[in-house]
Amino acid sequence: MYRNKYRIIIPFLSPALILYGLFVLYPYAQAMYIAFTKWKGLRKSPRFVGLRNFEKLLEDDHFWSALTHNVIYLVVLPLVTLGFALFLAFMITQKVRFSNFYRITFFFPQMMSVVAIGILWSFVYHPTIGIFTSLLQALGIADPPVWLGDPATALGSIALVTVWQSAGFFMVIFMAGMLSIPKSLYEAAAIDGAGRRTTFFKVTLPLLWENMRSSLVFITVLAMDMFGITYTMTQGGPDRATDVLATLLYEHAFLHSRFGYATSIAMVYFIIVLILSLLIMQMTRRETIEF
Amino acid sequence: MKKSSITRRRFLELSSAAGLGAGLSALSPGLSFANTGIKVAPGATNPLGMPGNVKGEGVFFSGGFGHAYIEFAAEIFAEVHSGSTMSVEGIQRVGERLRPRIIAGDPPDVIDNSGAGHLDTAALVAEEELMDLGSLMNAPALDTPGKTFGETLFPGSQASGVFNGVQRYVNIAFTIFGVWHSKALFEEKGWSYPKTWDEMMSLCETIKSSGTAPWTYQGKYPQYMIFGVLEPLVEKIGGVQVWKDIDNLKKGAWEHPAMLDALQKMKALHDNGYIMKGTSGLTHTESQAEWLQKKAAFLPCGTWLENEMRSITPAGFDMVVKPVPGNDRSNFSWIDASSGEPFMAFANSKNPIAGVEFLRCLLSKQSAAWFAKNVGSVMPVVGGAEGVELSSAMTSALAAVENAGPNILDRPSFSGWYSDIMEEAKNSMGSLLTGQIGAEKFIERVQGVADEVKEDEDIPKYTRA
Repeated sequence: MYRNKYRIIIPFLSPALILYGLFVLYPYAQAMYIAFTKWKGLRKSPRFVGLRNFEKLLEDDHFWSALTHNVIYLVVLPLVTLGFALFLAFMITQKVRFSNFYRITFFFPQMMSVVAIGILWSFVYHPTIGIFTSLLQALGIADPPVWLGDPATALGSIALVTVWQSAGFFMVIFMAGMLSIPKSLYEAAAIDGAGRRTTFFKVTLPLLWENMRSSLVFITVLAMDMFGITYTMTQGGPDRATDVLATLLYEHAFLHSRFGYATSIAMVYFIIVLILSLLIMQMTRRETIEF
Repeated sequence: MKKSSITRRRFLELSSAAGLGAGLSALSPGLSFANTGIKVAPGATNPLGMPGNVKGEGVFFSGGFGHAYIEFAAEIFAEVHSGSTMSVEGIQRVGERLRPRIIAGDPPDVIDNSGAGHLDTAALVAEEELMDLGSLMNAPALDTPGKTFGETLFPGSQASGVFNGVQRYVNIAFTIFGVWHSKALFEEKGWSYPKTWDEMMSLCETIKSSGTAPWTYQGKYPQYMIFGVLEPLVEKIGGVQVWKDIDNLKKGAWEHPAMLDALQKMKALHDNGYIMKGTSGLTHTESQAEWLQKKAAFLPCGTWLENEMRSITPAGFDMVVKPVPGNDRSNFSWIDASSGEPFMAFANSKNPIAGVEFLRCLLSKQSAAWFAKNVGSVMPVVGGAEGVELSSAMTSALAAVENAGPNILDRPSFSGWYSDIMEEAKNSMGSLLTGQIGAEKFIERVQGVADEVKEDEDIPKYTRA
């Protein structure tokens, strides 16, 4: 009986497993090896150097400053984006007029390529013709900030773009969760005298836990990445004010030809994301309520 | 005509096989070819001894110059060496495209390693991927009789391609770096270009009070202010030795008083409000566009500026380039000029000699004239722009070179040799020009990285004399 079962399973699974092994697992393993080597990315055989790349990494100020920026995103983006998405989802599910129009509008940025968004927002932040600058000047502020050219505002400017782009995506996830909550629970809450606020915090939010979990994992990965938007808008500048691990990795690999070192950054980056994801799953583990 | 030349070539091939080639060919008159119009100098047909019927492969960056000029050089190659060809493929992002082939040990014969995402040349040299071009430099030039290939190139134009005494690549575009302004705007306002930095500062005050911003630069890419202003300014104040010491990683080289003086002069542009507001948030093309709209008077750049902005340059703008004014009138005319667009041949390609021979065709006088006429830029080939009508930008650039006479300043090499130092200098320059840091802090930061590079045994070191 079992033998028959495997006779079917193995041939069906093996093509996928072979492809997965060849194009996913093998490159991963190879990358892990490269992290322990010195390699300029030109010859076939990297030179093994043990833990030296990681030792250098610990002393590298640029690494720590890039990581700090990732951590700032990691704190700010979930709070602002998920909070905003939750607010939007809640409002739209309250039978407002044109709710379909709002839903499509808010989701739209998610469908655009990151590069297009980066270029678009570079125009929004443009110091002479940008809409922000023009608005502030119209309001009588003679010296508006140079959003992307000033270390004090550049990181926040990029964070805002990311909030704008991703809020719609999380809004849709939350809306799906909200719409699947049975009406009877709300009716019961209303009979007990709960207002909108109480209903939201005592009924809606606890029942959205599953959606919140996956959203947190998604946004953690997003906050740890940030390569596309940063590279299009500032390349990590001005003066490294918007450097993140991914742009630093790119700089070491493709500007300084240090593929071994760059891969060691990638390893650290991989481990951080893995630990964060596991932590989030662990911390948010609750019993799922079945309706 | 053509037919007889082929027989002559065949004869030469045979004679060189017998070891008599050099002697016989020295006596033979030059050969003319109808298609490309090249007149090969006596004895200059095949001095490198390229075998016959070679199918060479070339992969080239195709950017502001396009790659039609490379196709023209390939025609010369095919016409001079009948039976042999050089393929021409124009690409972008050279590094991403070619890295897998280099790792696999199958590089093309010749490449143009330029543009965004090009390969790190210092790494290619360190891994011994590139041909030694010494024999090319000493070979007879293709169409300049009695001169070696090296002698037909502008003096100093190939210095950046020398690594520890060995020529590893050749630069094919001659670039003049300086400060640009609109001749029309200056005539209209009655401004004249300053001869010293002090005059620059007083003119800036005049320009500022007229409502125009005196300066802008390529904001997000502050390195333009390094090669456009800092390099010549330091050399005018302190002499070439300052940069030589920096290139050679001499201890405390960045702490030279001339460096401090130059940086303070540049910071004064910010402190006096002479830099256009918002400059630091602009890309290179955005800031150049603002300058073309006459929102700022001065802009640092190289001679590619004209080509880059051609489509949006207003008629009658008349852009011209001038040297950076220094500490003294006597050195005003000194100007930075160097060659860029590095072409290199791979040592372990299928036909490395074909790659090298192609470079000899590309930097021939005939090819240079085609380049000047059709691309509007010049190759560092002596007499290469003869009889070709040039734009106001190129005319002013060549006049600046002529005025400079022997005082053509070589660009320092540290930016190509040690990308870490250039990266730190670039970032610090951005902070200096936005008033985030002072000149002393700039020096401290860049010297710090230079010291780290010096101690890092993983980074190959180079020296210049």
